Amino acid sequence: MKRQSIFTTSNTVFCVMAVILAIVPFVSDSRTTLILLTQIFIFGILAMSYDMLLGYTGIVSFGHAMFFGIGAYTSAIMLNMYESTMAIFTISIAVGMLLSAVLSFFVGLLTLRLKSHYYAMLTLAISGLVLVVAEKWRTMTKGNDGFTFRAPEFFRDRMMFYLFALACLIVIYIIFKRFVGSPLGRVLIAVRENEQRTASLGYKTLHYKVIASVLAGVVASLAGSLYAVSLRFVNTSVMSMDITLDALLMTIIGGVGTLIGPLLGAAVIEFAQHYLSGLARDYPIFERWIIIFGIIYILAVIFFPRGIVGTLSQKLGEWKMKRKTAAVEETFQKVPPPGIADESGEWK
Amino acid sequence: MELIISLIINGLATGMLIFLLAAGVTLIFGLMDVLNFAHGGLFVWGAYSGIFAYAATESFTIGILIALLTGAVLGFITEKLIITPVYGNHVQQILITLGFMIVLSECIKVVFGPNGIPVSVPPLLAGSWEVGNIIIIKYRIFIIAAGFIIYGVFHYILTKTKIGLIVRAGVMNREMVQALGINIKRVFLYVFMVGAALASLGGVLMAPYSGVIYAEMGMEYAILGFIVVVIGGMGSYSGTLFAAILVGLAGSFMAYYVPYLSLAVNMIIMVIVLVFRPQGLFTVAKG
Amino acid sequence: MMNSLLCLKEVHTHIGQYHILQGINLDIVENEVNVLLGRNGAGKTTTLKTIMGLTPASKGAIQLRNTDITKKMTYDIANLGIGYVPEDQGIFGDLTVEENLRVAMRKENEQTLQKQEYILTLFPDLKRFWKKAGGKLSGGQKQMLAMARAFVNDSQMLLIDEPSKGLAPIVVEKVMEAIQEMKKTTTIVLVEQNFLMASRIGDNYTIIDDGKTVHHGPMKALISDEQLKRKYLGIG
Repeated sequence: MKRQSIFTTSNTVFCVMAVILAIVPFVSDSRTTLILLTQIFIFGILAMSYDMLLGYTGIVSFGHAMFFGIGAYTSAIMLNMYESTMAIFTISIAVGMLLSAVLSFFVGLLTLRLKSHYYAMLTLAISGLVLVVAEKWRTMTKGNDGFTFRAPEFFRDRMMFYLFALACLIVIYIIFKRFVGSPLGRVLIAVRENEQRTASLGYKTLHYKVIASVLAGVVASLAGSLYAVSLRFVNTSVMSMDITLDALLMTIIGGVGTLIGPLLGAAVIEFAQHYLSGLARDYPIFERWIIIFGIIYILAVIFFPRGIVGTLSQKLGEWKMKRKTAAVEETFQKVPPPGIADESGEWK
Repeated sequence: MELIISLIINGLATGMLIFLLAAGVTLIFGLMDVLNFAHGGLFVWGAYSGIFAYAATESFTIGILIALLTGAVLGFITEKLIITPVYGNHVQQILITLGFMIVLSECIKVVFGPNGIPVSVPPLLAGSWEVGNIIIIKYRIFIIAAGFIIYGVFHYILTKTKIGLIVRAGVMNREMVQALGINIKRVFLYVFMVGAALASLGGVLMAPYSGVIYAEMGMEYAILGFIVVVIGGMGSYSGTLFAAILVGLAGSFMAYYVPYLSLAVNMIIMVIVLVFRPQGLFTVAKG
Repeated sequence: MMNSLLCLKEVHTHIGQYHILQGINLDIVENEVNVLLGRNGAGKTTTLKTIMGLTPASKGAIQLRNTDITKKMTYDIANLGIGYVPEDQGIFGDLTVEENLRVAMRKENEQTLQKQEYILTLFPDLKRFWKKAGGKLSGGQKQMLAMARAFVNDSQMLLIDEPSKGLAPIVVEKVMEAIQEMKKTTTIVLVEQNFLMASRIGDNYTIIDDGKTVHHGPMKALISDEQLKRKYLGIG
């Protein structure tokens, strides 16, 4: 087997992108662009963590917002209660991750041994409960009114926070990339493809699914921490269904089962939201832009279940294949392919 | 004693409303292996269309009929447009029905406005009886009666009529039903429409009970419905009734005695059931 | 062929990415017991399922008399008068014996009820357990119920998949008697591993091997052909 070089095309593209994004704040002084890009990074992290579940392990969670919310609240509350320093912020990220890990561990253990329906349903139910608890526990969360807090001194400069979010994104991307390439990640993909077969090969699929759900929960919590600090404000909307839907939409539109897909999806959705909410000022119909997203999302699930990245790489693959077979055909008589559609790669 | 009776009545009434929603979820799941996350959307559409008709005609009966009709029509559309393209693909089903749920509840805001609408109890059912020291609110009794009647009709159809037997047979073994010459797809469609109509009925009956309707209530009640389905056992309608009453009663008693636990009580019941009987309290024999 | 009721021509079936049937040619003779033989996994069950449209053919043609049923839906095929008894019997466990039969009835009229009475004389056990849940019956009773259910309508043809599987010899005997009785009014396609049983009630045989039909002839000829039996059935 050929040893993979670090300088593959995708890695090079990735590095160039990272460098360009790192230079942006030094070149552009548009505050809006900076804030928008920061949002994209944060939601990119969230969407990637969501794809760990949906795309790589094949489990549908409707409760991802609770981990995001836990991260957001942990950071906000700790920064509010203690001093607003980087140290506290770092600790708060760790605490949020720990809480999310514990919660996702128990939720996963309880429900992942059942059919996929249960996990979707129960995560929806549990996150619904967590949201209600957050709304009622006003002494701590200030409910739907929320509260503002001071961000650490270091992040007063938007640019610093921008770079920090970008760094987090890159680190998480690399970790995920290594993770899905690792033997552990391979087993997760095997679980997605055929859980029974993976189990019969002797893998305890429940363990692997729980690992995936914990990992996804922990990373979502990090995204939540960043989000809270980016707004310097937190309210219960960080736990709402809308956050889960955003993650879902970004993953589906971008392309499930890839890491670049959710990032692209995050960019597309954030830009679209930004643009549409601008339009809504002039045309009230766009206030309900969620409908448009909902319809696009439904159409995407039916017609482009692989999302932008998946569909593009499929087309690219077909095109390469065609060239290959065309070359082969010149020398050999072509054998007609069996008359059945190949369903591999589709969801089960 | 008085207290206990009125708590029981409260609990039963809530339980029945959840049952109406959950019955559709469980039937559709049992027969078609489709978990319809859009069900709450049908619930809220039932509430809005029914109340709209009730306000326009001042007849609650017409409101109920309109709600049923809306449910059936939306059920038809959902099955044809949303479910049919993704049969047999669980992940896609879950994703797409949730998307449709969002569209349905956002459309409510477009059609009826984003704010909640207050609803009053129809005059005939308003007020209460006093039996000794117990105050019994008429509308709650009405809901309980309606719930039991619907359960009764449901039970009769499923155990005595041929179509009911076919539906139950389909829950147990879909392939075999087809091999006996029955177009299961058409049965699916009917069941879907009936389930949707039941959810809509639940919505319109809910409206005067809670006093206000709002677009998000679909999701809230859908969650309760799902919890009930999990507790009762997917595909079992008797289990669903039992679990719905259990959840209703537990909620009503907890709200009085241990208010801070009342939120969590459904979750606690569900966790206990999942730990000890992950398939739910009642199960359907397959094959 | 002259009086072939059902005819399969070069039928191929894929299940997922697996190519299960790779050329099935069958001529089902009217009013006979047509036996499909072959090793485990040869494709006998899939052949029946393909006829029923449960695993539709990807290539080839299936004709019932003069109608092409290759692309028809399962329920349409069933309504043309083909009864199907699957390997696992497909009993509706929560329904009673009576209800199981009722689901199968195309019309609940006098004629069908008479047919039901007649069937119950073939399977007196079913009458005894009339109100018992199908899931609580013994294996043999389930088999009988499944056969009764397939036969309760006016069937031109019954497809029966391994009726003797897992049954006590005395019960197998009863099932065989019933098949012989049913043969008087209908055509039977029987998948059977139990060669003894197959040879006793079969009129003709077709051997399926690796998804292809490889041999066909009258049952009498097979009984005496030790070489063929050894090659494809591993007996003799």
